[in-house]
Amino acid sequence: MATISTALRKFKEPTKDELTRLFFSIPPEDGAPKQDVKGKEKGGDDHDDEPKGQMDINAVLSMGQEGVEDPYNGRLYLIPPYLSFVSLDRKSVRFTIPLCTIRRVERLNTRTGVYALSLLFWHGMKIIVQLTALRPTADLFCAYLRDGLKSQLQQGNMKSMKTFVKTCYSEGLLASLEDGSSEKVDPSFASVDEAAGSFGKDDEPTYQGGLGLKFKFPGDPKKLREASKIKLWTTYLKAHGRNLTLLRYPQFTRLVQVGLPNRLRGEIWETLSGSLYLRFANPGLYQKTLDDNKGKATASIEDIEKDLHRSLPEYSAYQTDEGIATLRRVLTAYSFRNPELGYCQAMNILAAAILIYMSEEQTFWLLEVLCDRLLPGYYSQTMHGTLLDQKVFETLVQRCLPMIHEHFAAVDVQLSVASLPWFLSLYINSMPMIFAFRIIDCFFCMGPKVLFQVGLRLAILKINGEALLEIQDDGGFINLMKEYFASLGDSAHPESSDPRTRAITRFQELLLVSFREFSVITDETIQAERRKLRGEIISSIESFSKRAALRNLKSPRRFSKDQLGYIYDALFKAICIVPALADETKPTSLVSIDGAVDPNKQETRIGLQTFRIYLSEIATWARDEKVISNGFQERVDREIADHELIDRLFYFWDTSSRGSLSLQDLVDGLDGVLFNDLMENIEWFFNVHDKDKDGSLTKDELLKLSESLLFIFRFEVGDAYLGAVSRFMTNAFEYGDALLPRAEGEDEATTPSIGNNQPYLNVATFRMVVLADEILESFFSTDLSASFRLEPVDTTVPPSNSGFLGGLLSSIVTDDNKKFFNRFTDEIGKTIGKHQVVHRPSIGRQMQLQEPKARESLLTPTMRRSPSKASFATTETTTTEKSTSSQSLAPSTPTSSLGPDKTLPGTHATPSLPHVSFANAALMERTAFAIDNVKDDEEEEDATFGIGGDDDDQMMDEVDAFLEAHDSGLSAADQALAKGMYLATYCTSSDHDTC
Amino acid sequence: MAEAAAAPASVQVKLVLLGEAAVGKSSVVLRFVQNEFQENKEPTIGAAFLTQKCRLEDRVLRYEIWDTAGQERFHSLAPMYYRNAQAAVVVYDVTKAVSLDKAKSWVKELQRQANPNIVIALAGNKVDLVNSTSSPAAGVSSDAEDEPDDATATPNESSTGAAESESLRQVPREEAQAYATEAGLLFFETSAKTGEGVVELFTEIAKKIPIEHILASSRTGNRNAGSGGRNQDQGVTLDANSAKRADACNC
Repeated sequence: MATISTALRKFKEPTKDELTRLFFSIPPEDGAPKQDVKGKEKGGDDHDDEPKGQMDINAVLSMGQEGVEDPYNGRLYLIPPYLSFVSLDRKSVRFTIPLCTIRRVERLNTRTGVYALSLLFWHGMKIIVQLTALRPTADLFCAYLRDGLKSQLQQGNMKSMKTFVKTCYSEGLLASLEDGSSEKVDPSFASVDEAAGSFGKDDEPTYQGGLGLKFKFPGDPKKLREASKIKLWTTYLKAHGRNLTLLRYPQFTRLVQVGLPNRLRGEIWETLSGSLYLRFANPGLYQKTLDDNKGKATASIEDIEKDLHRSLPEYSAYQTDEGIATLRRVLTAYSFRNPELGYCQAMNILAAAILIYMSEEQTFWLLEVLCDRLLPGYYSQTMHGTLLDQKVFETLVQRCLPMIHEHFAAVDVQLSVASLPWFLSLYINSMPMIFAFRIIDCFFCMGPKVLFQVGLRLAILKINGEALLEIQDDGGFINLMKEYFASLGDSAHPESSDPRTRAITRFQELLLVSFREFSVITDETIQAERRKLRGEIISSIESFSKRAALRNLKSPRRFSKDQLGYIYDALFKAICIVPALADETKPTSLVSIDGAVDPNKQETRIGLQTFRIYLSEIATWARDEKVISNGFQERVDREIADHELIDRLFYFWDTSSRGSLSLQDLVDGLDGVLFNDLMENIEWFFNVHDKDKDGSLTKDELLKLSESLLFIFRFEVGDAYLGAVSRFMTNAFEYGDALLPRAEGEDEATTPSIGNNQPYLNVATFRMVVLADEILESFFSTDLSASFRLEPVDTTVPPSNSGFLGGLLSSIVTDDNKKFFNRFTDEIGKTIGKHQVVHRPSIGRQMQLQEPKARESLLTPTMRRSPSKASFATTETTTTEKSTSSQSLAPSTPTSSLGPDKTLPGTHATPSLPHVSFANAALMERTAFAIDNVKDDEEEEDATFGIGGDDDDQMMDEVDAFLEAHDSGLSAADQALAKGMYLATYCTSSDHDTC
Repeated sequence: MAEAAAAPASVQVKLVLLGEAAVGKSSVVLRFVQNEFQENKEPTIGAAFLTQKCRLEDRVLRYEIWDTAGQERFHSLAPMYYRNAQAAVVVYDVTKAVSLDKAKSWVKELQRQANPNIVIALAGNKVDLVNSTSSPAAGVSSDAEDEPDDATATPNESSTGAAESESLRQVPREEAQAYATEAGLLFFETSAKTGEGVVELFTEIAKKIPIEHILASSRTGNRNAGSGGRNQDQGVTLDANSAKRADACNC
């Protein structure tokens, strides 16, 4: 019914190298196979060794021509196949240039001590970089640069670059200028009204452009002063390179801020975002994606079709088939490119807007950059990026505009009801298009912070008029914003006498003030906030999908809400360790998106491996818990048990015989055992082992059943259970034989009797045999059901390695280190003779019976009232202290008890010792991968001594919860007997150290 | 404490629209608020907000309508919009059977997670596509008599010319009605395009909303305004002024 996704857990903070690439808009290392880019660790591991040929060095950048630009100090990065530079202030000057555009590199003969390189680009532009580093470093850099250039030449990129740049508008723009050999721009080229998309000579390969070329660009070209903008840009591009070789000097940013000329807009967006490099590196991939997936029908395509006619419908191109087809192709291609994401509403608006300025292929790559890098997670299935950035935005409002924040909090207005669409559609749908495009210009040029800056500015717009503070509800806020957006074209100062002042529009004011007043907000600020808030967002999304999954269960059976929650949590945890079956979950967008619509298609189903982990969370006998004390600490090592019974249960619960289980299957399955009384349990256990469901067991099955019992009892204290199973087998075969003319019964459990496959024992006989034994009767009446425990499972989001301390901690508390530490202390423990390993019994009843206090004391009124949580917290307390500690420990957090990590003064710990919380967290995450091949080693039972008496507390509590006042205690005689046995075992085992 | 205060108390009612993508949520609202219909309405991003005043008896209801995005992945945003809502309209498309399933899951979610007193209405939109003979089915309640084109014939009884368009129908009226009754919902078939059923929908919701309760909770002391009886008269007058104010921008 619902999918359970652990994808959000896989997030990793970008490495330093990835951040550098991000900054320079350089595509992630593998251009073509892009899936899971972020998760990929570069160069195998994240140590400091940089990838081959990669290097950065201090440098001074100056233009080849004198007097064009001042020299700038900065850092030069060689990230093959790119060369990048950024000035020290990280904003004035920067470039990212593919190596293949460099034609010549010369070491300049200057005064000694100066190491300067002159780089000549294919179109004649020359820059000079002076490497301000020690000579060997500079030499190394040069060597790397040479290698990089060589490999580019070998790959033929120098040539392909030439054809590629022809697709860029700027090339034609400058070529036409050179043809005319005058400073005046070719009028036919600069003319904005002209719709033709080709250069002077029509037969040349044309540049790629958007629908605007044919259907006109939005806005009045005269008002936008297109012609003069083109002129300014032509001059700039001529001196500072264009498309692949563009250098960004301060003037560039200024030119962007006044608004890009329509014809150049697409190309500049492409260059700034870095999608140009993707398009260059993957020629033809767009068309190939389309061709490869021709005719496929997916849920994304269905969604896209719904929205095609609803994307900027007022723009003329989208009233024609041509425009619609273009939009369809781009969105479809992207949904195939990134099936994980597929298609999200708002992308249609974004794509439709971009297509006005860009070709399909350009738009395709720009969408990729937007979804991957600029707006990470915005359009994903969970939209976690959107939610995260809304949270970040709210935090920024709180910090920058506390007054507004307080007011909104007081009147209960959620900022995000208005701001969410701003971010999601880059303001395109919120304000008149021509203004939105100018915000997008700045967004590509200056980064995602622009969205926040503009948003903040919007948040205080009306502060002088107090209008915003008068708002009493969400609706008022939205309406106020709407009014403002509609008035963006109006003069900001209509009363001013100066016509120039009057000409300043509200939009200009908006931009100006946004950037000036909120310059404190940098991309780094936003990154830091995202890091801080990510965990919160992820857990809220996860709890949302948990609620949805539980709500969508066909039937909750007899479980309470909390219990269902625990079932889900345990499943979630198991899936985190072993992912759910891939074929059902991978192409989320390729199957129906509507979870409720087609329950069969979108449902997380787990396989046997995941089930084993799952069951180990729920059932006490499906895990091997070793309580290890070594004089320094006491910890519980939990490993997943492996036994046929577990597999058997998996197939027993797989009622639809699909080889996998859904959440509903698990709920149904657990329901079948958790609420059972004695008779039902006997029957249930019988059915689990009755493979052919014919109502009777074969001899083989009977043996398997006995083995299962032994498996469950494997860590119980004393011989009582072993004896019970032996008696059971004797009796079962005796009765079975009595019914069949065959006599082969032997009371040896291990005798491998190759039984025939004839029906041998029916359920009535089985019941009789079980009831003949008090221990088994007690087991089936309560202990079996109680061995399935629904308890809180810690599924909190592991702290991302944020900040210095966080990173440090997580690097120290890795699983490996933890294990190493454990091993280390174990060794010491062994040498000083304090090492002790104790298996925690699954049932633990025998232990409990030996308690000096009567059994009734466990069911004191306080215990009855306390939910299982409380008793859960006491799980690891030791026997001797139990009755008192159960109360004192109850308030301690449930998480601590799952990963108990305490130092021990002796063998018997007092439970009140401090817990190391981070170690606990690490322990929590430590997965018990190793499946311990513990067979039914009954011998071990003698050597073990249980401290799991407290399990009983908990179990009793569960019993209490499920069966109300059903007291299933044993007779006094039994208790006395068991007590004697306990004392015996206790005495022997206390000086019996198992290793 | 005076019975039926003279000044018509304006009650704010928060209403949220939910339903699968492209079933016509925004269009239903647009029809109700501005009495307009747009063929290609842009998909709602996040949610849109509109207001409309309604006169019911001596009281004025001010609907604050949250029109949400329909695509599944926006689902996680929905609680932000339906929190504190007093009414919800769950819309499905009568020509798409799956949209009713989605509607059902919305109803389930609302009944569990939303305001416990929430009034939920189920609206089967796009009936114009299946009613070629302009024989729209009447609303469940009897107050639609002033609709000029409101014939009494049910779609099933319409002429053979309607047979073809009737085949577009994937959700039989009876099925949806039965579900609505079982789940305790108001039920209407509507057409945002022709306007059929839209006003009735919002009128019935208005009648069912425990206005006294809202008034009592919003301003204590004036809780006794109005009588308890629900009037069956056609009591809704669209306030033209407020319709002008709320434009349809998707912000």
